[in-house]
Amino acid sequence: MRGYPLHLLLSFGVLWALAVLAERLGFAPAFLVPLGALAYGGLALYGLRFGLRHALLLLGLLAPWFPWASVLVPLAFALLFGRRMGEKEQAAFYGWALVWPALALLLVWQVFPTFYAFYLSLFEKVNFLRPAAFAGLENYQILLRDPLFWRALGNTFWYVLFTVPTGLLLATAIAILLNTGVAFQGFYRTLYFLPYITALTAAAAVWRWIYHPEFGFLNWLLGTPGLDWLNTPTGVFALLLRPLGLEPQGFWAGPSLAFVAVMAMSVWHFLGYQVVILLAGLQAIPKEYYEAAALDGANFFQQHRLITWPLLSPTTFFLFTLGVIGAFQVFTQVYVLTPTGGVLQDTLTLAFYLYNKGFRDSDFSYASAIAMVTFLIILVLTLVQRRVLEQRVNYEV
Amino acid sequence: MAFPFYWMLATSLKSPQEALQAKPIWVPERMRPQNWVKAARLGDSPLWGGLGPGRSVELAFPGEEEKPPRAFVPRTPGAFFDPVADGTRVEVAYREGAWRIRLTNATEGAFRVLPLVVLWPKEVPLSPPLPPDALRSQGEAWRLEWVNAVPGALGYVFHNYLEAWRAAPWGRYFFNSFFTALTQVAVGLFLAALAAFALARVPFPGKEGVFVLILATMMVPGEVLLIPNYVLLARLGWLDTYYALIVPWLASVFGIFLLRQFYLSLPQDLFDAARIDGAGYLTQLFRIALPLSLPGLVSYGIFTFLGAYNALLWPLIVTQSPEMRTVQLGLQAFVSEAGSDYGALMAASTFVILPVILGYFVAQRQFIQGIARSGLK
Repeated sequence: MRGYPLHLLLSFGVLWALAVLAERLGFAPAFLVPLGALAYGGLALYGLRFGLRHALLLLGLLAPWFPWASVLVPLAFALLFGRRMGEKEQAAFYGWALVWPALALLLVWQVFPTFYAFYLSLFEKVNFLRPAAFAGLENYQILLRDPLFWRALGNTFWYVLFTVPTGLLLATAIAILLNTGVAFQGFYRTLYFLPYITALTAAAAVWRWIYHPEFGFLNWLLGTPGLDWLNTPTGVFALLLRPLGLEPQGFWAGPSLAFVAVMAMSVWHFLGYQVVILLAGLQAIPKEYYEAAALDGANFFQQHRLITWPLLSPTTFFLFTLGVIGAFQVFTQVYVLTPTGGVLQDTLTLAFYLYNKGFRDSDFSYASAIAMVTFLIILVLTLVQRRVLEQRVNYEV
Repeated sequence: MAFPFYWMLATSLKSPQEALQAKPIWVPERMRPQNWVKAARLGDSPLWGGLGPGRSVELAFPGEEEKPPRAFVPRTPGAFFDPVADGTRVEVAYREGAWRIRLTNATEGAFRVLPLVVLWPKEVPLSPPLPPDALRSQGEAWRLEWVNAVPGALGYVFHNYLEAWRAAPWGRYFFNSFFTALTQVAVGLFLAALAAFALARVPFPGKEGVFVLILATMMVPGEVLLIPNYVLLARLGWLDTYYALIVPWLASVFGIFLLRQFYLSLPQDLFDAARIDGAGYLTQLFRIALPLSLPGLVSYGIFTFLGAYNALLWPLIVTQSPEMRTVQLGLQAFVSEAGSDYGALMAASTFVILPVILGYFVAQRQFIQGIARSGLK
């Protein structure tokens, strides 16, 4: 067995099987398959040089006709002769054998599609009368001049800008309050947590009912004599909304506020997740710090500013990064609350626009262009966050 | 936080006319026990199921002989589409100073809903008196919707739930959702455990490369994958099958990372000892690492299950036929089709979220810890 690269055989085998699959599905040129078979067969023969008693490996040469052989033969070989393998070789083979099933799936369903999306975005809209025409970056040029795209992008930015900080601030406040030893902590935690495990479809159905322009609870609440000061032309909402260029009349019924409704619902939905994670982070902070700070005369706010804030920063950073990425892909809430994209496409987001273009207008190439732009934005944002924010994150406890 | 849940439950118990009131009704009529008694008295069976074969119920409308109440059997899809109830016999007669309508179940099976609507003048009192939400004002005449009242107290209270359940093939939807989610959890867990163990504990050549590849995969948002994966599924001929719902999400980068963290945190001595005792990598994985990483497996399982059960976009894209739809899609279709029947809508929402909520209450500690663990790096 010395020097025999069994794991290489396995790896080439899996790659080669993937090449066969790709060719059969029309994703890869035909010459890839004999090339792979050649490489695989060469490897098998190379292996045989080290001992003809491993004739089982010859079966690997069946691979051009029976692709599974390229995976099954090395596996069978390892099962039969595994005990005689050297330590290093055993590690090499088992490492690859264990990692391959998941890795192959990742390659097929995540890595390849990423490139394929870019490839698709370079073509004109598929027309069944003629083959797809290569268009270069034309889709991206159209995208940059597309007012709906900019609208979707703007909406998504507003969504991120509103929901992520609001959610984090609220969650931090709630987590700190819960951590101070409120009675029925478990009950409150359940209360905050239930929305998170609730399906967004169901949650959106209720919120739609609460927001109903005629019979909704919220409109009744805002019209109640004790509370109507919120919603009158000189009320609180008017003060808040005027600077944003929104008119508060007909509170939830109006088109301009539909997106605010979506945002409020999202904050409600994700709050529990953030609370639970922040609570876990808070409970990891040793109590002695607070006791020491209290002895030194620090008040509640000083304690949290000087102890909680720096020590909780890894958790906050994690939630912030995840929140931004998640918020950029908001779809379900928007789709269920406003299936048509709202009045004048008021609630259009990037994911929703992508869905509309791809699966309602079946313009896959244009939708792929939208996806690639979203990818780019998220990538840049993540890298910027890592560069700028992570320096301020305190990882030592 | 809890208000939407309360409102969901409250609305799911309201009658249509209660639901469509601007002023909120905090406790629906159906929840008042005195009305249960009335509803139960009207039906033949006190608890469930309407009338058995050959049984009948009689309604009396006191009044003069010249003015008969108008009784009709509605054939609208919402009110009556149960084929076994087709044999309802309606007899109208005037006896002892009252118009009497007798409904007989003439079929083999019991009907659960009596498909009868009666119109009669408002000034004439009813005997027996009906719960208020079985009455709907219509011009000069009251309209009695018997559907609301007869199937016993339980059927009366949960009328919206019965309506919602009968409006769509929910059983199939639930099976699809659970089958998809549980398969994803089981197979995904297995694959992720294998890969994570290799990445954490097996020193194989190319490990760094694989790790970097997986790290890079993490950066790609799910949206990018929608269209290429759809195309791939279409070319495989897998659209509208369980493969489409399950296979693309089997390999989870999140799961690999989570379990890898777990395996890294286990002491190396454990594995060295096993190795000296002659255990290979597979034995080490299945006998030592897997049992010790149970909390990690649970968090992964919870996340995957929640993600699969609550997913809307992916099933929406890759399935077309009702047989392949999941619960969320059924609900989504219900939301847009049910129109103004908010009671049934809220009832459907309630039973869609019920399995997860029940699961949460059963396994509360694991749930909370599982979620909390995802934040600890």
